[in-house]
Amino acid sequence: MRRKRRKSTEGSFSDPLSDYSTPEFDDSLEEALCDNDMTVMDLTPMVTVNLETTVAKTMQILAEAGVACALVIDDEQKLHGVFTERDVLDKVAEQYFMVKDLPVRVVMTHEPVCVYDMDMPAKALNLMATGNFRHVPVLDADDKLVGVLGPRRVTGFLSKHTTS
Amino acid sequence: MGLREDILSHPVSELDLREILTLSPDDTVQAAVRLMRLKRLGCVMVVDEQGKPLGKFTEHRLLVKLVEDSQALIRPLKEVMVTDWAEVKLNDPIAKVLDAMQNHGMRFVIVLDDDGKAIALTGQRGMMEYIADHFPRQVKVHMIDDAKLYMDQREGA
Repeated sequence: MRRKRRKSTEGSFSDPLSDYSTPEFDDSLEEALCDNDMTVMDLTPMVTVNLETTVAKTMQILAEAGVACALVIDDEQKLHGVFTERDVLDKVAEQYFMVKDLPVRVVMTHEPVCVYDMDMPAKALNLMATGNFRHVPVLDADDKLVGVLGPRRVTGFLSKHTTS
Repeated sequence: MGLREDILSHPVSELDLREILTLSPDDTVQAAVRLMRLKRLGCVMVVDEQGKPLGKFTEHRLLVKLVEDSQALIRPLKEVMVTDWAEVKLNDPIAKVLDAMQNHGMRFVIVLDDDGKAIALTGQRGMMEYIADHFPRQVKVHMIDDAKLYMDQREGA
């Protein structure tokens, strides 16, 4: 990250936690990504389905909503997985008749990597890049589902801060 | 320069560019599914015998078509492809990729060379990797925290 901080001399150790200077950013986009929490991004609406919803029904919900990802939750609203277009491609398409009536929990991606609502957007974007995740669920400190960050929302955020 | 300036000035050639997967209009949806799975890419271009693009078939289209028609896998691509796509040139600024994705609602953008020939695909993944390069510190934080950010109990007595 391009935070302008004091440069340490070569070969000496500088404890990063001892640096209390206010971070400076090269431009408004870097500031928006690093000096905010996740709530500055659009995280809702989100599509949720129960663990026992069938694969066919979940696909129908996704198609009608025009979205690529359903968050799979239990009766207590706890997140257990995500079901995305990639799961359709990898686990459903070629055996559609065998899996369409199964519960979505069978073919969903289990235990997705999440971020917390107080994390900075830069962290979520890094997760998406390094983990190759397209959708990252966002939780609050009590592990309650707050929303989901997907490619379209990231693009909208970047466009807004690049053109303004 | 900062990230915003880089996006406005750096050319598309600095993004991670992916190979364009191509099939003919008479190939089936099943062939597209197998190719997309093999190459780990969510988009196939449908081209004529001269290699000219006629349409594209994406993961999203697969989902929609399977919901509409349980026999979609045996349909030829010419019946199910979409015929609009977004293009940028190799020397265009990266901001143009963002603009194409935002205004056309597409995840993939075709990259053309100076002669107008389609040479690669880019899009959301390329953008994410480009941005991640600007924030290496956040990557390290993620690598060591093992996705468990908060302790269940306070440390010590």
